[in-house]
Amino acid sequence: MADGEVVLKVENLHKSYADIKVLNGVSFEIDRGQIKVICGPSGSGKSTLLRCLNLLTYPDKGRVWLEEQEITGQISDVNKVRQKIGFVFQEFNLFNHLTALKNVSIALEIVKKMKKEEARDLALKELRKVNLGEDAHKYPAELSGGQKQRVAIARALAMNPVIMFYDEPTSALDPHLIGEVLDVMKKLAQEKLTSIVVTHEIGFARSVADEIMFMGGGTILERGRPDELISNAKHEMVRQFFRRMNELYRREGE
Amino acid sequence: MPIGVALAITLAVARVYGNRPISLLATSIVGIFRGFPAIVTLFIIFFALPDVGVFFSPYWSAVLGFVLVTGAYQSEYVRGAIQSIHVGQSLAAQALGMNKPQEIIHIILPQAIRAALPGISNEIIYLILYSSLASYIGVEEIFAVARSFNSLEFKPIEIFLTAGLIYAAMATVCFAGFRTVERKLRIPGLEVAR
Repeated sequence: MADGEVVLKVENLHKSYADIKVLNGVSFEIDRGQIKVICGPSGSGKSTLLRCLNLLTYPDKGRVWLEEQEITGQISDVNKVRQKIGFVFQEFNLFNHLTALKNVSIALEIVKKMKKEEARDLALKELRKVNLGEDAHKYPAELSGGQKQRVAIARALAMNPVIMFYDEPTSALDPHLIGEVLDVMKKLAQEKLTSIVVTHEIGFARSVADEIMFMGGGTILERGRPDELISNAKHEMVRQFFRRMNELYRREGE
Repeated sequence: MPIGVALAITLAVARVYGNRPISLLATSIVGIFRGFPAIVTLFIIFFALPDVGVFFSPYWSAVLGFVLVTGAYQSEYVRGAIQSIHVGQSLAAQALGMNKPQEIIHIILPQAIRAALPGISNEIIYLILYSSLASYIGVEEIFAVARSFNSLEFKPIEIFLTAGLIYAAMATVCFAGFRTVERKLRIPGLEVAR
């Protein structure tokens, strides 16, 4: 694995919905093995950013490169690009009519054209990695929020992506379930799986992130190492945000 | 009976319609066959088409007519079911790299058909009863037999009651059949009733 190899490069991304400018010139890079966290108030464009990078929506302006290949503009196969990016949604979005096992294996079968047994074995392996080997036969409706999100992570991982996007993965979870998902994410971060995580979990950012990018009003207001940004931000808005966060979460210790 | 044939074909047809509600063609077809009374459609197929050189036997006119009519109605159930599927399911499918056909066949339709099943089964049972209309274009079916019997024997109460009961019996068998199908397809935890 080459060190300092740029996995994703974003240049001057713009996106509007009707009259609202959601992304107003976002640029950054992420190297292989890095974990970058995106923080910011709601409406700052964080989710939109991820979805533009995954090509679930298309930016109005700007360019994006995934592993040297430009993915904005005309591309022959958008699905091939999406296969290389693992996406974990805030609302899990598990396929309700399939078991946990099938959720993980279905894309392997129909997108990667794996044989059924091979896909099943790989799926089981991924589920075990997130501590859900015992529950592989259960349907999403039978799983807790934390379990569902872990299945979602396993599903994304099974495709062997070059980068993972987490869109507020714990925001829809009950507090006591957040820990199990963060633990899985921490483990993956330690394995140096390139990731971009949009989250409010400052503790997670502090312990795992290489860099925090703070978004506000559609741009990256400030970026830097977690300790710097959380305690000592230069931008007033960023300082206030983290001060408020620290107050809210102080009792949770860390 | 035309019903059996119509059953299988209409489901497939309904799926195709339901898939592309945007498509103007599908919408107009659905509109036409939901707009015209079934009996009129049957008559057009059997009596009017020959004027432009298209000939169908009574049986096949009925099959065609019912396929079109019930297909149109069922497509609305399917369309409603498809549109009720959470957009997140599509997003997840796309994020994994599935293309549209894969997304529709493996993710959307399995859930949509389950949701549309009550409506579809209802429609199919109606179809059994509506098949009696086919008697008016010469198909030898229960109601036709009943009517001709009646003109011979003049025992309307017994004759038509029996005819009705035969239809009811078929409908009841179907009810039970569909309950089993719904039960078999049920996804654990996803029941609506508590």
